[in-house]
Amino acid sequence: MLPLLNLLLPALIPSWRFFKSVDPSPRVEWAMLAAATGVAAQWHEFRARPQYLTPWAMACRMLWNPRWNETLFVVSCAERLTLTPSSHSQQEILRRISAELERTLPPGACLPYLQFRLVFTDRNEDGRLVKAVTYQSDPFLIAGMASA
Amino acid sequence: MSLELALRTTEILLAFAFLQQSAEHLAGFRNEQVIYGPRLLLSGLLLFGIATPWVLLGLLGLGLLILQRFQGPYNGGSDKMSLLVLCCLTAARWLPSEQWQEYAFAYLAGQLVICYFISGQVKIVNPEWRSGRALQDVFRFSAYPVSEDLRGLADRPRLLWAMGWAVMLFEVLFPLALFSREALVLALFTAALFHLANACLFGLNRFFWIWLAAYPSLLWLQERVVL
Repeated sequence: MLPLLNLLLPALIPSWRFFKSVDPSPRVEWAMLAAATGVAAQWHEFRARPQYLTPWAMACRMLWNPRWNETLFVVSCAERLTLTPSSHSQQEILRRISAELERTLPPGACLPYLQFRLVFTDRNEDGRLVKAVTYQSDPFLIAGMASA
Repeated sequence: MSLELALRTTEILLAFAFLQQSAEHLAGFRNEQVIYGPRLLLSGLLLFGIATPWVLLGLLGLGLLILQRFQGPYNGGSDKMSLLVLCCLTAARWLPSEQWQEYAFAYLAGQLVICYFISGQVKIVNPEWRSGRALQDVFRFSAYPVSEDLRGLADRPRLLWAMGWAVMLFEVLFPLALFSREALVLALFTAALFHLANACLFGLNRFFWIWLAAYPSLLWLQERVVL
């Protein structure tokens, strides 16, 4: 009961400090491995944003935007994983990446293991963007993960 | 605007926001569908005003389940506002005396004013926001811009400086709109446009719909207390 109250209170007495400061921003990257002992050769950004979005697409997203909202939830899990690591955040990210891979990759293109990492982007004192890998998961078996 | 009309308008707008949110989750995982399916159904009942107090209670129960399922809000501020509107409405429909119903609904209106003011205040005391640098950072590297082309706005510092100041001034001055009906209507219309812009640029569509649902409470409170 107490944990639920802790989750509810920020909604009943919100802080409303939207964008108080622009903090380093996480990107979730994934790689597939043939074996649990393998080393990731190529990292891919999870659901990279499109180059351009038409005004019509923006208008449609006012009513139907599940993928983008899920992507924002994954970003939120990445932030939680950095601040207060939990298996919940890790599993949410893994499940959503594997579901996306099942949906978008052709049959047979998936390797058995999935690994993800968090790359934080920030601006240094010179104004240049810097990236830092702050977390890398163990390899997980993909089979059945999306439906778990 | 009577309390009853304001409550009913809020219920209709909340129902629409919940229908939109729930439909998005029905395209997701099975363990989300089992929560959001009933939520869609209850939102339909709320829209048509059927067994409203019980429907609100049911939606509140589902809201708590959702909080537990995602270990917090799924969609940040929009989920928090959803719960706030829902809690205030449920309290207003279940509390025994009209005076307490008014307190519950007035709390929502108060939070709406505070939300704009605090959002502006925390920005305006930050030198990075005052210089326009913060908004440049939002476009340059935050997770929010919906397309890569939009990141190009980071290279237009004057435009972003002006946009940043327009937002900060609007937010901190928002409470002054309470002193005139015309000013409040104009302020709420401007705020809705602001949320619409956020929805287009940053994909925050749920914020737009749920913030609209809180507006009738403020229109009612102004008439009840200020004018």
